[in-house]
Amino acid sequence: MSESGTGRSPEHVGRVLGTEDSTPLSFWVGLGEDQYLQLDEVVATERPLPGREPVHVYGVVSQVRALHEGARFDSDVFLIEDGVLPGHISEAAQVTVTRVEPEVFVPPLPGIGVRRAEGKERDQALFFDGMDKRLPAGLMRDNEPLFVNLEFLDGTRGAHVNISGISGVATKTTYATFLLYGLFNSGVLGAEAVNTKALIFNVKGEDLLFLDHPNIQLTDEGKDRYRRLGLEAGPFKSAAFYAPPRLGDANAAPDVTTRTEGVTSFFWTLAEFCADELLPFLFADAEDDRQHYTMVIYNVAAKLKLAIALDEGGVQLEGVAIRTFNQLVDFISGRVQDDPDWAGPAIGAGTVNAFIRRLHGAVRPLGRLIRGDVPNAAKHKVQLEQQVTVVDIHNLPDRAKRFVVGVIIRRTFDEKERAGQARPLLFLVLDELNKYAPREGSSPIKEILLDVAERGRSLGVILVGAQQTASEVEGRIIGQSSIRVVGRLDSAEAERGQYGFLRGAHRERVTIIKPGTMMLSQPEIPVPLVLEFPFPAWASRPSEAGKNPTARPAPEDPFEGLPRA
Amino acid sequence: MKFSVEAWAPEYGTSMEVINATSEAVVDASVETAPSQWGPVTPSPGRRPPETVLFTDGVRRVDASVWLEGSEGTVRPAICASYSAGAVRCDGRAEVVAADVRRGLFCFPNHDATGISTRYAQYPVCSAGGETPEQLALALQLHMGRLEVSVAECAPADLIVVDGPLTGRLNIPGAVGYVKTHHVAYLPPGLHTVIGKLESGQRTPVFMMTSSTWSKFSWYLRLPGPPGSHWAGVVRCESNADLEVKGVVELADSVTAMLPRFASAGHKDPRAPQNLYPIAGLERQLRRRLGDPALLYRGLREAAMRG
Repeated sequence: MSESGTGRSPEHVGRVLGTEDSTPLSFWVGLGEDQYLQLDEVVATERPLPGREPVHVYGVVSQVRALHEGARFDSDVFLIEDGVLPGHISEAAQVTVTRVEPEVFVPPLPGIGVRRAEGKERDQALFFDGMDKRLPAGLMRDNEPLFVNLEFLDGTRGAHVNISGISGVATKTTYATFLLYGLFNSGVLGAEAVNTKALIFNVKGEDLLFLDHPNIQLTDEGKDRYRRLGLEAGPFKSAAFYAPPRLGDANAAPDVTTRTEGVTSFFWTLAEFCADELLPFLFADAEDDRQHYTMVIYNVAAKLKLAIALDEGGVQLEGVAIRTFNQLVDFISGRVQDDPDWAGPAIGAGTVNAFIRRLHGAVRPLGRLIRGDVPNAAKHKVQLEQQVTVVDIHNLPDRAKRFVVGVIIRRTFDEKERAGQARPLLFLVLDELNKYAPREGSSPIKEILLDVAERGRSLGVILVGAQQTASEVEGRIIGQSSIRVVGRLDSAEAERGQYGFLRGAHRERVTIIKPGTMMLSQPEIPVPLVLEFPFPAWASRPSEAGKNPTARPAPEDPFEGLPRA
Repeated sequence: MKFSVEAWAPEYGTSMEVINATSEAVVDASVETAPSQWGPVTPSPGRRPPETVLFTDGVRRVDASVWLEGSEGTVRPAICASYSAGAVRCDGRAEVVAADVRRGLFCFPNHDATGISTRYAQYPVCSAGGETPEQLALALQLHMGRLEVSVAECAPADLIVVDGPLTGRLNIPGAVGYVKTHHVAYLPPGLHTVIGKLESGQRTPVFMMTSSTWSKFSWYLRLPGPPGSHWAGVVRCESNADLEVKGVVELADSVTAMLPRFASAGHKDPRAPQNLYPIAGLERQLRRRLGDPALLYRGLREAAMRG
């Protein structure tokens, strides 16, 4: 930008341009010779005002551009490079204002110097100075930490996190676990951290089954990045793992391939199924008023409540002992067809058939999850005893996934509601929100998620939801999230209104950002900030897993999992 | 009927005014070659062009015509003008190495003329030889020429190409004047036809022109460009008469070999190919540096109101 001496002061990177409009919300900076600004850098400047203290203007670089001054045609670039036509390279950066202090909204005047904001000034620019409790959320481009105001996460002023991004590239789940790691280990929660719990649903591979193992592929450089964030790299210290029972396995051994110990299988006994009225969770559209058969569901659920519990989780209904889900489905089908008392008043045969058809459809996906044939069933109940509880549902069919997620969340939510106090917090991490709370329609699972989104803030249940496309998720759930995070997005998706917080260059950039980079928007900061989070310090596959420092002793029964004679 | 279209855009006139004026200068065509041997000269291909070439140019603009009121109630015409001179050095890359902007109040000197000061600029008094518009314009031209000389002097180069005739700038050492428009036929009619025979990259032999006040070496050369009239792409170069003939011939060869590289293309410049890229680029920058005319005009009117 400089022409024979722009009178730069050494601390300035450039000066406010006078050829582009300078406004209180955005302005351009012409960069001095041998100076540069890159996207996301934080800058500061002052606007003097007559008769009062100057206004400090802080901002983040949202676009940078370079052009040849003196060139009029595209082909002039060749002339300039050939040394035939004089041309001057001018570089300029667009700054989106983040903060104006004091709040006098006047434009920075053309010509005034702009400097990089560092240290205290950077904290002011990004409102970090006013955050009493700040959670490290990643490193910004300048390798300095980016913080999230905990008050917007813990329910004080807001709650919930929503993460969007293309599967596989956007690293949504990894980022969610990184946020949890920061919550538990940065000290931001104080003494409460010990009792704060997280429940993670593992939906992809067996990625999250090694959270308690250190990652042997984490380099020293990676560890340094944790240190920069005020964290010590390491695995999750307290974690429990649940997986569905293996199909056809009488002992209900967990259906996992990569981890051999420390995983408990989970299922519901028939007694729980009947007593807790879990039947509606078998049906995705149980709340849909247009479907007549939904009346049958609630009628049958009421009938099932009368079941008498047997040992090993079985039930006895109207004198019939039932041990498997298949038997229960057969029993119910028989009753609703024969006994109008079961189907409910004035229910036509067509409606009954619709119910039976859907009920039978649940047998295959859910047979192993609802049963009454395993001794000591209580230990197969998902318990939130450890700090992090991972429930693996990745190899379950969709229908079973919805059941598991719906039932577990409802139970934890009900328990929290009964406890009557928000603290300690419970974080729910759930990917594929579009499956559980789609934009259209209504279902028991969607209702419970809406409940979490809308009332969770006061009950201390914080939803960390993720999905590929926010446009396919119920708007009220996204709308309740104070912290929005996006990884790489599909370009068509990035144009949608759900990502209104991304503007201009951010919207274009979001389609090319690489794994490990996210854009985070939080209520206090008017622009989304781009961050990188460090390589996980915990293993995400067996090859990364170091020795588990808190390995449990070998199971009592060495033949666990084998069919009994 | 056969005809050709003038390469320059109509608003710039033609590169060759209808030449019916003959020069008063005495021409010696036998400096390099005997007039009977005259023909196009191709510089030897092995000749290396100079490494550093400096192109200088100046621009001027009248910001406002003003009337100076004398204490005794007289009113005299004057002009407030901005002028600028600069240089581009081409040595592998083209770079504006010097640019100087001046302003002045051009008037016939008078003891109560004090110069004009506005919000945006200062116009110190610059004396002109008279009060007619031509005299005022000439004074401006002279000041600009002087500025050009001073700019050219502060940037060393192997070769300095000055836009326009050398007149008034003959004391820039090593300078070559570069003339785009031809008003006067210097050569006798018999030799004049040689110009029409020049191929691109060729020159005429060097000749010498002498008038009562100056003497210069000169030669014509043709720049590459689309075919057109006999004079399409023809420019005339001048150099100081103090040089030895051998030196001038070498200089002429070197300039003839070097200039085609800088010739502009028709779609980029209305005066292609004669308006060279570096000079056109420099001229644009200098015009920009003269400042916004509307703003300066406003400043002058404001200052006039203030009195």
